Amino acid sequence: MRELWPWLTLILRRPIRLTVGGLLILATLLSGMGLLALSGWFITATALTGILLAAGVQASLNLYVPGGGIRFFAVARTVARYAERVYNHDTVLRLLTDIRVALFQRLSLSTRSRRSALQGPQWLSRLTNDVDALDTLYLRLIAPAALAALVTSMLIIVAWAFYSQSLAIGLLITLLPGFLVATAVVYLRTYHLVYRQTDARERLRTDVIEHVEGFAELTAAGRTGKHAALCLRQADQITRNDSRADTRTGWNLGLAQVMVNLAVVLALWIGLQLFQQNAISGPVVVLLPVALLGLLEVYSMLPDAFARLGGTLASAARLNRDCSTAPGTESDAGQPPLDSHNALELERVTIRFGDHSPVISRFDLKVCTGEWIGIIGSSGAGKSSLAEVMAGLEKPASGSARCLSAAYLTQQTVLFEDTLKANLLIGNPDASDAQLWQALELVAMADRFTHEPSQLNTWLGSMGSKLSGGEARRIALARVLLNEAPLVILDEPFTGVDAPTRERIAVGMKRWLAGRTVVALGHAPEALPSSDRTIRLS
Amino acid sequence: MSEQAAARAWLGGLATHGRPLILATVSAGVVVGLATIAQMAFLAGIIHQGIVAEVPVKELPLLFTGLVAAILVRGIAQGLQARFAARCSRKIRSEVRRQLNRCWQTTGPVAMGQISAGTLAREWLDHTDALHGYFARFLPQMVLAVVVPLLILGVVFSLDWLAGVFLLLSAPLIPLFMALVGMGAEKLNQQHFQTIGRLSGQFLDKVRGLTTLQLFGQTEPAAETLRKRSDDYRRVSMKTLRVAFLSSAVLEFFSSVAIAVVAIYIGFGLLGYITYGPSEDLTLFSGLLVLLLAPEFFQPLRLLSQHYHDRAAAMGAGAEIVARLQSVEAANLASPEAFQPQALDMICVQDLSLAYNAERPVLDHLSLEIRQGDVIALTGPSGGGKSSLLYLIAGFMQPDQGRISVFGAEPGEQPFGWLGQSPFLVHGSWADNLRLTIPDATDIAIETALRQVGLGSLLNSRERGIYSKTTEDGQGLSGGQARRLSLARVFVANYDLILLDEPTAGLDSDSEIYILEALHKLARAGKTLIFATHHQALLTLANRTLLVTDGSVQDA
Repeated sequence: MRELWPWLTLILRRPIRLTVGGLLILATLLSGMGLLALSGWFITATALTGILLAAGVQASLNLYVPGGGIRFFAVARTVARYAERVYNHDTVLRLLTDIRVALFQRLSLSTRSRRSALQGPQWLSRLTNDVDALDTLYLRLIAPAALAALVTSMLIIVAWAFYSQSLAIGLLITLLPGFLVATAVVYLRTYHLVYRQTDARERLRTDVIEHVEGFAELTAAGRTGKHAALCLRQADQITRNDSRADTRTGWNLGLAQVMVNLAVVLALWIGLQLFQQNAISGPVVVLLPVALLGLLEVYSMLPDAFARLGGTLASAARLNRDCSTAPGTESDAGQPPLDSHNALELERVTIRFGDHSPVISRFDLKVCTGEWIGIIGSSGAGKSSLAEVMAGLEKPASGSARCLSAAYLTQQTVLFEDTLKANLLIGNPDASDAQLWQALELVAMADRFTHEPSQLNTWLGSMGSKLSGGEARRIALARVLLNEAPLVILDEPFTGVDAPTRERIAVGMKRWLAGRTVVALGHAPEALPSSDRTIRLS
Repeated sequence: MSEQAAARAWLGGLATHGRPLILATVSAGVVVGLATIAQMAFLAGIIHQGIVAEVPVKELPLLFTGLVAAILVRGIAQGLQARFAARCSRKIRSEVRRQLNRCWQTTGPVAMGQISAGTLAREWLDHTDALHGYFARFLPQMVLAVVVPLLILGVVFSLDWLAGVFLLLSAPLIPLFMALVGMGAEKLNQQHFQTIGRLSGQFLDKVRGLTTLQLFGQTEPAAETLRKRSDDYRRVSMKTLRVAFLSSAVLEFFSSVAIAVVAIYIGFGLLGYITYGPSEDLTLFSGLLVLLLAPEFFQPLRLLSQHYHDRAAAMGAGAEIVARLQSVEAANLASPEAFQPQALDMICVQDLSLAYNAERPVLDHLSLEIRQGDVIALTGPSGGGKSSLLYLIAGFMQPDQGRISVFGAEPGEQPFGWLGQSPFLVHGSWADNLRLTIPDATDIAIETALRQVGLGSLLNSRERGIYSKTTEDGQGLSGGQARRLSLARVFVANYDLILLDEPTAGLDSDSEIYILEALHKLARAGKTLIFATHHQALLTLANRTLLVTDGSVQDA
């Protein structure tokens, strides 16, 4: 349960909203119970009065108060239900925002190397599912369980006050196990079935993808059937666990309902005894059993929610693990300061992954301020790894890397689903519109957007304006150029950009970045702006 | 719309497949309904006896026993309903996965290669699971939402027809009510999922580009944007939801008002204030029973509206699965010619034609004979048909016309070795990878095969030999090493025929030499090798080079 704690505290940050939402649900439940109980009371009272009247006995019954009460509850039930649904749905959407923003903030504190193990479409879709599991925690689980406990206690207190002590104790003996059967017992009996389901499903997904990717080889070897059977067996194991959890939930629901119904029987039995001892009137006897029947509605919501709790806990645990903010041991202490003439100093830098042979070994480089350097290497020669070490994203396996603060164009083009302006302002939040247009002009993209109706506010990404790879690249480049860092690192700046445009941009960049230090990396000299010095990686 | 119809028809077919269990689920649900009616009848009876007839509680053991029995039956039937529903869903999901496997089988590796593995896996795994709610909850509830209210209505009519009319009027026609519920729920559903989808999209977009945001120190403003965008979405979607929720409010309104009207009618009837209709015969028993049954009349409808999203989910997933299944049916309409076995020591290709588009056939009435033990290089311009010919001999595709006999058997009938352009690796050890195609390979055979393709030194460097993982520390094998690993499978298996599609394309020179050596060994061992290639070294390895171009083949 501890894994839920960070998320619960987040949810509980809106206490007023949660309370109001809870009260609205309570009002819905109580109006429903009140409607039925009062109607039962009313029918019994009228029946008894009717019998007296038919026997010729003078009798009277105030019809207006119960009649009005019934009408009130009927309307209150409808209004409360509607208000509850609208209000609580709004709450869920707000919690959704809170959780996503909090998660994003936690993720943004982690280092990239920690995250790199996780990235990828698979991880992102799992992340979405895990977050979704937490969104409805309040509405599905916390609120119904709390209200079921509250309404149960209220009824037991009513029994104590207006009926008899023994009835109250009897109700406690039937309803408390009923409540536990609908909540804790369901959770305990399904926990081990559902907790590992997501992991099992992801393992199976890997196997199915392998099955599809190896389909030619498996077909050739005549093994598709056998291998498919293997996947089917795994899938069946997962569905069987699902199915067992569902069945157990169903039995627990049935048992919880039996317990509530037995409380009804008990209330009727003791109520009739009290009636025969003239301790209470006939209509009052009916009141409590009928109200208890209304409790079924609350208890029915619980087992399903508690059956999912195991999965929710697993989701929370995964999120806690993926987004833990344990800072990396970053100690730049002991590093000699950067020479004042230099923008970048690499000394005997070795970069390697795991125990594989190093990508770059004992690499030395000094770049003076204002110098333009080109680094050329074929694919796989370690250009990007070197760029990441320069930009401080990665630590070298050995050696030291020191540099001024840098603006870094990564090899991968990253644009956000947002406006052009928002995408550019990431480079320099203080840039004026005029500066943005200048930067766009420099990367030969200004014409493209002066013709768009929303100009700088044109929406980029899948929902908005479609950009070609080269266009997206140039916008990413413009974003880096807007940044005022003294050192600029460009990894394959012109991917997808045709030669004439490349020439034009390179000339513009010379002017724009005059006086700053530039390190450009690429697969061939023509992929880079002209430089003072060119280094080849082999 | 026809897509929806196809999905509906397909779901209907699946329902037939799981009919016994669906019937069992519905029956259990009907028993729940009947037990509920009985429970309410006993309750009303006990109250009547105890309060009107003033019979002491102790003299009502029969009624109390009946009441407890009804309650127990209701609970047990509830449990059974869940059990049958879960089993039904399990059975149907397994059937769907089998259908998809069969579909993949007929689609064949070539066409499968055109579709992303992630998509196919998602259909097999997630879309199939999305059918669960439909078969376990929605479908049985659809029947129960008609049957149970009708049962209750019957009981109420027999007690007091006017009260029955009130119930009937408040739910004028059950189908109409269901349509109302459906429309509201559907709208709600779409809107909700759209909002959630957009919110997730915004979130994932920012997470994806987190490194960029960190580089520019812009994570805090991005979090602010995320919050603002989410809030905008919430406001917009709440506007629609406020209307959509009205449909459930209408259901609630009708059920509350019906209960209130019935209660007040019965009360006045019992007082004798109503002088027409059946109300003179009302007793506390019948009056109370009608009241207790009124909420149960609406309960199945309410459950149905709760399960409505299951239907939408199943329709969405079903449409995609059906599209996949139908793509095969459409492709397989052309019936291939009957197979005629040819010589046992030959691969015979007769009059073979294949066209992806009608104007430009890839293979045009091509005939060819390959003797056992031949090493054949297929060469020619890209798009000239080398790979297609290879796929046809492998049985990965069906020709438009013509016949192929591979050593007297249909293509693909006998196992053979295949090395495609993209090597195929599974997560796991070296041994796992080789046993995937040859499950009973011995440790020695596996190790020998790996050494044959030049992976011996890599194997020596790994602690646990063939049982160490092929990939360690998240670092994969190089492309060349992976392809050699695939080739090692051929060495373990001892196939007669080995087909290779561009076995050396894009390899570093080390791997190239290892592959050439390995192929040479296979050729010396008397295997029949056919490969498509441009590579000069491979061409010299062949004892026959065939130029495949413009739909025909000739010796080069």
